[in-house]
Amino acid sequence: MSADASPVQYEVVHTTEYDYSESVAVSHHLAHLSPRVLPHQQCLHHELQIEPAPAVMTTHSDYFGNPASYFAMQGAHKRLTVRARSRVSLEATKLPSPSDTPPWEEVADRTALPLEAVEFLYDSALIPASAELEAYARAAFPPARPLLDAVLELTRRIHDEFTFDRKATTVRTPLADVFKSRRGVCQDFARLEIACLRSLGLPARYVSGYLETAPPPGRPRLLGADASHAWLSFYCPEAGWIHVDPTNNVLPSRGHVTVAWGRDYNDVSPIHGVILGGGSHTLRVHVDVLRVEEI
Amino acid sequence: MKSPTDVHGVTAPWRLFDGYHSPEGTYDEMIAASGELRPHCEGFVRSVEALGRHEFTSRWEGAKRSIRENGVTYNIYGDPQGMDRPWELDMVPLLISPAEWRGLEAGLIQRTRLLNLILADLYGPQTLLATGLLPPSLVFSNPAFLRPCHGVRVPHGIHLHLHAVDLARSPDGQWWVLADRTQAPSGAGYALENRIVLLRSLPETFRDCQVHRLASFFRAQRDTLMALAPKPHDQPRVVLLTPGPYNETYFEHAYLARYLGFTLVEGGDLTVRDRKVFIKTLEGLQPVDVIFRRLDDSFCDPLELRGESSLGVAGLVEATRAGNVTIANSLGSGVIETAAIMPFLPALCRRLLGEELRLPSVATWWGGQAKELQYMLEHLDQLVAKRAFATEGREPIFGKKLAEREKSLLAAELRARPDHFVAQEQVALSSAPVWHRHKMEPRPVVFRTYVAAAGDSYTAMPGGLTRVSGTHDIPIVSMQRGGNSKDTWVLSEGPVSTVTLLTPPGSATRPERAGSDLPSRVAESLFWLGRYAERAEHAIRLLRSVVARLTDRDTTDPLELAALLRVLVELKMLPERFAERVPLRELEEEMLSFFFKENPHAGLRRTLNELRRIATIVRDRLSIDTWRILNQLHQDLRLRHGRVQFDDVLAHLNRMITDLAAFSGMEMENMTRGHGWRFLDVGRRLERAMNATSLVQLALSAGSSDSAVLEPLLEIADSSMTYRRRYFARPRLSPVLDLLLLDDTNTRAVAFQLAALSEHIRHLPRDPKAPSPTREERLIDQAIATERQVDPHVVHRDGDKGAQEVTALLASIEANLRELSEAITYYYFSHAELRVS
Repeated sequence: MSADASPVQYEVVHTTEYDYSESVAVSHHLAHLSPRVLPHQQCLHHELQIEPAPAVMTTHSDYFGNPASYFAMQGAHKRLTVRARSRVSLEATKLPSPSDTPPWEEVADRTALPLEAVEFLYDSALIPASAELEAYARAAFPPARPLLDAVLELTRRIHDEFTFDRKATTVRTPLADVFKSRRGVCQDFARLEIACLRSLGLPARYVSGYLETAPPPGRPRLLGADASHAWLSFYCPEAGWIHVDPTNNVLPSRGHVTVAWGRDYNDVSPIHGVILGGGSHTLRVHVDVLRVEEI
Repeated sequence: MKSPTDVHGVTAPWRLFDGYHSPEGTYDEMIAASGELRPHCEGFVRSVEALGRHEFTSRWEGAKRSIRENGVTYNIYGDPQGMDRPWELDMVPLLISPAEWRGLEAGLIQRTRLLNLILADLYGPQTLLATGLLPPSLVFSNPAFLRPCHGVRVPHGIHLHLHAVDLARSPDGQWWVLADRTQAPSGAGYALENRIVLLRSLPETFRDCQVHRLASFFRAQRDTLMALAPKPHDQPRVVLLTPGPYNETYFEHAYLARYLGFTLVEGGDLTVRDRKVFIKTLEGLQPVDVIFRRLDDSFCDPLELRGESSLGVAGLVEATRAGNVTIANSLGSGVIETAAIMPFLPALCRRLLGEELRLPSVATWWGGQAKELQYMLEHLDQLVAKRAFATEGREPIFGKKLAEREKSLLAAELRARPDHFVAQEQVALSSAPVWHRHKMEPRPVVFRTYVAAAGDSYTAMPGGLTRVSGTHDIPIVSMQRGGNSKDTWVLSEGPVSTVTLLTPPGSATRPERAGSDLPSRVAESLFWLGRYAERAEHAIRLLRSVVARLTDRDTTDPLELAALLRVLVELKMLPERFAERVPLRELEEEMLSFFFKENPHAGLRRTLNELRRIATIVRDRLSIDTWRILNQLHQDLRLRHGRVQFDDVLAHLNRMITDLAAFSGMEMENMTRGHGWRFLDVGRRLERAMNATSLVQLALSAGSSDSAVLEPLLEIADSSMTYRRRYFARPRLSPVLDLLLLDDTNTRAVAFQLAALSEHIRHLPRDPKAPSPTREERLIDQAIATERQVDPHVVHRDGDKGAQEVTALLASIEANLRELSEAITYYYFSHAELRVS
């Protein structure tokens, strides 16, 4: 990365292709494919190209403020292609110095938290807190340790102690199994760390987005760059939500494009649908994130 | 109460409450602590006593019979007795005095208004959370808070259209709210059915007591729901969405749908197109304006709510977001069903309504608050702990009944997940007299009543469902546990207005939308109802022809019996060995086995069970009398092993045939000739034609010389009388074939079925653009053409070769009919929309 902190522009193309063994008469879909607008991230352009053309297509802002698109197919089709094209501009995020952040126990007092943080304290369907995970997390959270400092250590431990393995898990693999096998993908590491933080009473949310596909020469290619990526953010008083990526052990900045956040994957899954008919189907997903100067 | 004395030597008048004692320290609903009758109950008690013990008892028996016959049931999960359990109703209603009702009514309506405003806030600005009037964790950790429904506008700001409140009375006479049901409250239909049964059983008493009617409540509810169509028009379509026949209260879904005039639908009957909701009917998609749901909200939309649910309608949330459909109660309204909200209601009431809360809730502590958690932990012995959120279970945990170890486990769980627990004071329920073993006995009661949106406000049901605990020492009242119930009479000071929903006075009958509301799924069920009814009758007739010959051995022709047995073996109704000579005793055993176990060869029981299951699905389409007949058939099937001798079997089969004949009579005489009736009759005709063709083929394969099979054949086809009247002779093959196959005046003949099918098929709804003739028309025409080629004399003339010729034609007809059944299924019933993910 160039040393300066100037904004970076990316062109993101996220393609999802369904092939059905039999014709589909009707299907309904909900997509989270449009990047959020954030203080450090602008969405310059976004369009959703759907083939064949959907009968209905609308967009609303969901409960968490993510742009969400509903579309429905009402004519017989055997293939569905959804291509999301976005152009975003990212600036480097400003982070507090870890030692300046408050002792973690102060943050774990829910009566002092703002409403938007309380929302992310509780179990959700895919991320249940547990005594086991709390015990795992505790090692990084000795009394009075500054919050960011502790989170960084937890992130590093997860990165070091867990193996990236595409074949080990699916979206539905219980978290306890991930913890036991010590293997998984970005989604698993994100929810693992979220569960650790929530077990301690710290608000944490699940973030979905993208990584740059081919980083500039000399920089390592990050894991999870050829598909949707997932990490998390946790609430830190004054600083607000701080993003951490346990898969790559980094603090996301100009290299992570944020699309949506929620309590877990279910709130932000890039695209899901209820399909009537169609027999079996195969699914292909492809993500390209290119720096604009390279285009 | 003082016992009556018999000083003058005449029989003492009957006293209802002789020997009645309510438990010390409880409030009894009828008898005051002094032993005197409460004043508002005097009229009722005098009126019942005037009937006399004998009359009262016989009316009670009548009431029980009517509940059984009407098939009022409650499904108990895991009930070994089978799915349907008859509803239980006590003859003595809970009586509420006019003055008491005024207070209750105001309190109930206030509570509903309050809960509605809380819902509007939680799914809107969330000011209550921001200001701390409600702890955010109570909402955010609650699985019933449905985030996708946040921000969805509801017509007229009504989230809560129907609210149920469970009330209990403490020893000092004060009513307390035990629970609120805000999502899809059950029981209003049972309350209505209880009222109807009691009204018929005690008409004089009901009149004398000046009891408020329930009809105006249901009418207000219905009219309000209809008026809430997002785009008001003349004939808004309201559907009642049920999870289906396996739900515990399916009876009342069907009952209420019929009573309110709404179409009963399952999720699969609805579809979302262009962000609008439609019902899939025979005549295509018809728009739906309002959904009155009995399906829990998290199951309502697999796209946005619970992904794995197959009971809901994909895209429903989006349809509400677009403002194209009204759902009652609004999706997400289950969030305030939690008892955890109760401690906050007084302050919320002051803030939102500027009033004091009128109806207190039973003392409740929510573990999500530090001090309350501490109190709960210290007083577990005296409290009843519960999961705060119904999705995690509703079972109460009685602290005092726990062993030390269990108690410490509970305490540990409370500390680990405090938000997920509430504790409540153990309520001493009031008692009410229940008629049990020929006398009155006190039982704990809980009174569930309802509040419904009525125009811009709310109205409380003057009455409700009073549930009775099974014994006097169990403080839990739950229908799921198999309790008894009571009607509830709210007494009026003056004469009551009489309104009935069945014939609204002064209003013209709304024109029937001829058949257009018939969901494809219902049409399919009616089709199979017809097929199974016919299949059952056919099987029973076959069995009867065997049983009759076994019962009356002296006059039985052994050749006939042997020929008949061979037919049954061919039909796989009997095991192979019966084709040869077997001891009659063994045959008798086999016949009995048809009733007592799933007979692998015939599945008569399976057919009858399937008939019952399908009838349950279309229950709202069947008249009460029709249902009663089917119910009788079901009862007749329930023979108890050991109580039945072989000699009874014939009478039994006769009774079942009479039941089925009554059913088809109802179908012919009492069903409107809409599409529903046509599909039912198509099913019946198809089945009958196929049974007849296959039976005749079997008879022919037995060899044209074997005339022994002809008499049973005529019997099974219910054509013996006709034959005898016409030919005055022992049956001969050619005329029998003519009668059973070609005679289109014989309602049992194949020709008659084919003509009827042809007529039906030409009247079924059709896409006008579809090519003519349709596939169904082609198939039935083919079958009729084949049937006309059958020459019964060829058998007589050409012997076996002739028999083969007829058999081939019959096989072709049968194949045609099977294809016809598939064609109808494909065109009319298949939604071509199997869900894959």
